Amino acid sequence: MGRYLSIAILGLAAALSASFVPQFIAFIEALLSSITPFHINTRGQPSLVMLLVICWSIRSSLGDGFIWALVGGIMLDLMSILPIGASSAALVLIVFVVNSVARQLLRLRFLFLLAVTAFATVFIAAFTIFALFLLGNTYDIPSLIRLVLLPTMIYNLIAVLPVYASVRLLQRRLEGGLQVAPHSLSLGTEIGSHE
Amino acid sequence: MRSLRQPGRALALALALSVCGFLVLFSLIGALTPVEGVVAAPLNGLSGLFNRVSLSLNATFEELNSLGQLRERIAVLEEQLARRQVESIELREAASDYVRLKSMLAYTSPLEDQDFLPADVIAIEQTGIARNIIINRGTRDGIAVGMPVTTELGLVGRIVLVSANAAQVQLINDENSAVSSRLQTTRAHGSIIGQASGVLRLTMVDLDEVITQGDLVITSGLGGNFPPDIVVGQVTSVRQFEFELFQEAEVRSLFDFDTLELVLVITSFEPIDLTVFERTGEN
Repeated sequence: MGRYLSIAILGLAAALSASFVPQFIAFIEALLSSITPFHINTRGQPSLVMLLVICWSIRSSLGDGFIWALVGGIMLDLMSILPIGASSAALVLIVFVVNSVARQLLRLRFLFLLAVTAFATVFIAAFTIFALFLLGNTYDIPSLIRLVLLPTMIYNLIAVLPVYASVRLLQRRLEGGLQVAPHSLSLGTEIGSHE
Repeated sequence: MRSLRQPGRALALALALSVCGFLVLFSLIGALTPVEGVVAAPLNGLSGLFNRVSLSLNATFEELNSLGQLRERIAVLEEQLARRQVESIELREAASDYVRLKSMLAYTSPLEDQDFLPADVIAIEQTGIARNIIINRGTRDGIAVGMPVTTELGLVGRIVLVSANAAQVQLINDENSAVSSRLQTTRAHGSIIGQASGVLRLTMVDLDEVITQGDLVITSGLGGNFPPDIVVGQVTSVRQFEFELFQEAEVRSLFDFDTLELVLVITSFEPIDLTVFERTGEN
């Protein structure tokens, strides 16, 4: 069921990331610029598709994780200049790493989530820049780190917690209609209680 | 740690990466283009809908936030309007002279003969690295790679990828975009390059040329990628050092690239391929 759901959920996330999210981030940055002495104008935004794939693959089988990575990558590439499958390859590698270390490191609770998110953000950015370089595009890397990578990482680290909680809630419902207690949204309890 | 040493996991990883590799290969040779169009259609429709909703929400919030500033702005604008009205009378006189002279010389501006196709912006590149937008017009509407995209306020970019019902536009503030331009007043030639910060920079202008803050920058048509005389932006600051070969200027577009809703594709313009001459030169 989760495999079929991936198309709808990741499609919705990709569409939101290409339309609503940049506008929302621009609004937030404009608001922060007006109430703080700093002029905030970045090109970063939370990578909803990547976060959903990571969060889903933490507690699912490797096969399920790969399906989510393939679908998520295709959704991203349909709305970007990269060839179809390029982002999928990056997400597949991330899912493999996450799935390999998840059982051991889940005991570290939310630190694990944050570390994986930070790693995946850097990996996806490096992969995208490399893929764009192969297509003949060159970029000013220090500026990209300052204007894209660092803000994206901050947004991802903030967004991963609610995304994980939502994904976990959905997975529990799919696992057999378990009653989900309100406290299950607490991240520490959830991750720590892994078998 | 479960790793590549487990054959099942290694096999699954190899299989998944092979699928990705084949997808990339087929996509690069264009074999997936028809499928991409079909699969992307609902996604583009959905993001177009979200984009419209979020733009209108943003506009509403901005209006509420800037009510006080608007009052001050109205006072300034009223004063400017009075000045412009005087200028307008002078310009009307000049325009009538122009029309008369134009008919005498049988001269036609290149832009007047162009065909424009309006298109909605339905998505924005989400990596943040490349600066592209997606519009809801594709090969079905006669869109082709290389066509320039504008708004009524100036140049937006050029088409770089096309599917049946959508197209990707590389914005002129992308780091890999270069537009041959000139200053409207002095006719000095230069090149507009996108910067990582999103601003436009006019480069390669001779040190002898005079660049003034407020000068309009327009396309020159050199290189054959864009028609001449499309507004690119306005000079906001000039950077000139005697030890450099050229001077530079920062240029601000007359519109905000992040809030583009409607653009115009110049369908009648055919980019000129100058690489033929380069090859001849090499021989």
